[in-house]
Amino acid sequence: MMLWLKSAGVILVILSSGIWGLMGARNLQLRVEQLKDLRMALNFLEKEIAYMHTPLSSALRKTGYFCASPIRWLFLESAERLERKEGRTAYEAWLSGVYKLERASSLKTEDIELLKTGAMQIGISDVYEQRKFFSMLQEELKIMEEKAEKEAESGVKLWSYGGFILGAVIVLLFI
Amino acid sequence: MRERTDAKVIREEILPYLAPRIKSLLKNREDRFFRGLEEIRLRREKPLCLKIGDKDYGINRRGEVTMNLNDSYVVNEEDIYRTIASISDNSLYVFEEDIKRGFITIPGGHRVGLAGQVIYKVNEIYNLKNFSGICFRIAREIKGCAENILPDIVENGRILNTLIISPPRCGKTTVLRDLARMISDGINLPEAKNVVIIDERSEIAGCYQGVPQLDVGIRSDVLDSCPKAAGILMAVRSLSPQVVITDEIGRQEDAAAVYECVNAGVAVIATVHARDIEELSKRPILRELLASKSFKVGVVLSRRRGPGTLEMFYRWD
Repeated sequence: MMLWLKSAGVILVILSSGIWGLMGARNLQLRVEQLKDLRMALNFLEKEIAYMHTPLSSALRKTGYFCASPIRWLFLESAERLERKEGRTAYEAWLSGVYKLERASSLKTEDIELLKTGAMQIGISDVYEQRKFFSMLQEELKIMEEKAEKEAESGVKLWSYGGFILGAVIVLLFI
Repeated sequence: MRERTDAKVIREEILPYLAPRIKSLLKNREDRFFRGLEEIRLRREKPLCLKIGDKDYGINRRGEVTMNLNDSYVVNEEDIYRTIASISDNSLYVFEEDIKRGFITIPGGHRVGLAGQVIYKVNEIYNLKNFSGICFRIAREIKGCAENILPDIVENGRILNTLIISPPRCGKTTVLRDLARMISDGINLPEAKNVVIIDERSEIAGCYQGVPQLDVGIRSDVLDSCPKAAGILMAVRSLSPQVVITDEIGRQEDAAAVYECVNAGVAVIATVHARDIEELSKRPILRELLASKSFKVGVVLSRRRGPGTLEMFYRWD
């Protein structure tokens, strides 16, 4: 009976730390995907603004429909805030979207901070300035994406095996 | 009744666009306060200024109306930023062309003039940025204000080519709008006529996204934000108007377009800035235009007994 309990405990510890490791590895991969989605979404938004001259709230909503979760929440939340017409500026609406995205995504603090910078510029300048702003943001995101890819390459294996190894170490320490 | 209408228009169409702090100072004012309010001026780091008639008023932080502007609420950078964000629906890039002309028209036909740093490239205004001043000009429809003018510009059922003359802020545009409505709806006329309004500055019809916000009559077409000279010729070619209405002529090309129009059998009603006929005659282009007898009637307006005071009629027969 005791042996059964011990075996179950060992399996539980190794499995849970293994799953934790796999989740960590998945987060690294998700971050890369989400940064790519974000960059593509910003490209779409830039086109809506620069070529279609779509008003910002509609442009954000269209972008939200164009991209996948969780990135879409950034755009849909910002659009909703603006559509409420409560005197909010694009800056404030965008920040609300960024906070929602932060909670729902695998993006790191540095990615979120990048999205916050320059938010003062959204909507409140001419087409030329808007294009400049969005191009710059996309370039920065591309750099982030490349860094995230490198991190994922080395980190995925580390997290995947590391979780199980950590579980095994914990078990050995307790035996 | 007029107080209530003015207050309703300002509360519903102007206050929502103001920065929250300024809005809160104005929203609890009594209806009579808004009667005659012509302009709301926001200048960065300067007192909030409300033009009622010929006088400037301010509102202090306690919400009291004051004539001492030094005691008035001082507009700050955030107020300007929030107001700009609001009037442009956070999409300033949509209004690039309007901004180049120095104003944005908001629903209701009210014109919001902008001041700031002008970017000038290749002999034209390229952009306006770093906004420092915003002026809300409240558009008012005074239906019937042209009733006493219309009979004198009609002869045997035909509209005569008419020039409405006055200095700025004397009600030229309001009169012009009412003439458009009356002619287009056939009010006090044997028959209604097709009218085309060339509204270069979006003041006559107060178009928002191309749609007139003010009543210019059911048979009126509006060429919004269209240069006058090009618009007059375009209207004659494509919209078969019986009357063309336009604001503030004065350039050589405007005069040429007026010649074309009156010689194409289309009546023209236009406005021009001048105190009286004598002052008008001192401007070479207009002197030439008058000498050509293109215009048959001159209507001089002033503010002597309020905007739109009819000073005199003049016939160039």
